[in-house]
Amino acid sequence: MLTWGVVAVLAVGVYGQRALGMALVDPDRLGHRSRQVLAMVPLSILCAVTALQTLSTRGELVVDARVAGIVVAAVLSWKRVPMFAVVVGAAAVTAAVRLLS
Amino acid sequence: MRQIPTGTSLTLGEAWTIAFTYFTVAITVSLVHSTAGTPPWIIVAATLLVNSATATLAYAAVTAAGGSATAGVVAGCLTATRFGVLAAALAPRLWPERWKRAVAAFAAFDPNIALANREQKDTDVRRVYVAMSLWLVLPWWLGASLGVVIGDWVSNPKALGMDAMFPALFIAIIRPQLTTTNARLIAILGAGIALALVEVLQGGLPFLVAALPALLALRNRNGERA
Repeated sequence: MLTWGVVAVLAVGVYGQRALGMALVDPDRLGHRSRQVLAMVPLSILCAVTALQTLSTRGELVVDARVAGIVVAAVLSWKRVPMFAVVVGAAAVTAAVRLLS
Repeated sequence: MRQIPTGTSLTLGEAWTIAFTYFTVAITVSLVHSTAGTPPWIIVAATLLVNSATATLAYAAVTAAGGSATAGVVAGCLTATRFGVLAAALAPRLWPERWKRAVAAFAAFDPNIALANREQKDTDVRRVYVAMSLWLVLPWWLGASLGVVIGDWVSNPKALGMDAMFPALFIAIIRPQLTTTNARLIAILGAGIALALVEVLQGGLPFLVAALPALLALRNRNGERA
């Protein structure tokens, strides 16, 4: 259960990390190579987030109906289906697999 | 297809999809907190002020499993480390003024950073970041508030496959970026490292390590210096 105190500490803790990220990098003193690396960081992290949100629950590897949904999402993305259909398709397939199993 | 803001590569369809996804997921996040006994106003405040579902959900998971509030807060903050790294990654392309970047930091999420990052010009990076942040944060707050009100209607979000929406959205965002061998390698390594470390490292720490494959951007391509 969240309390006002917990919300306050989490708000400061989470914003602090975001602001630190923004403050640590000085755009004026950043070389070309550092910029090249930083430009690829979102891709790397997004893939990590996707993998864990598909195959883990609370810090443990889990294979469940989500996997079917995400496989469908990957296929639809590869076919260049609009983003909205990818998201709804993945949710529908996941729901269907849960219903049938 | 219509772009918002005009002249950038962010399409209206993408913005609507992200808004819809965050709206829907926010409803389910509210439900989790309601079920854990959190009063409605605190849920709305948590969504508004913490601005991170992973952080508040990590807290809820730890305390529901019998952990102390302190352990919950530590877990919550640890899961949010990736937002700091993502913010740092986009920072050089945002405003030179520190205060503007400090304001921008508040809305540092995955999709707005990923989509702003694909723009060629820094001015477009800023425009897409501002637009996408609004298209994301406003539905996020709305969904959380609605979730508090209609909580009982959506009694089982998992039965509706809602937990597959975030990863599906991220796949759709990632796919167009996989145009080079380097990008594909970085993507596979990022996902692989996270999966290898999830049971070993606490909270969001696997994401920090998973940022390292970005160093492959320095790899030589076609004999040229990268």
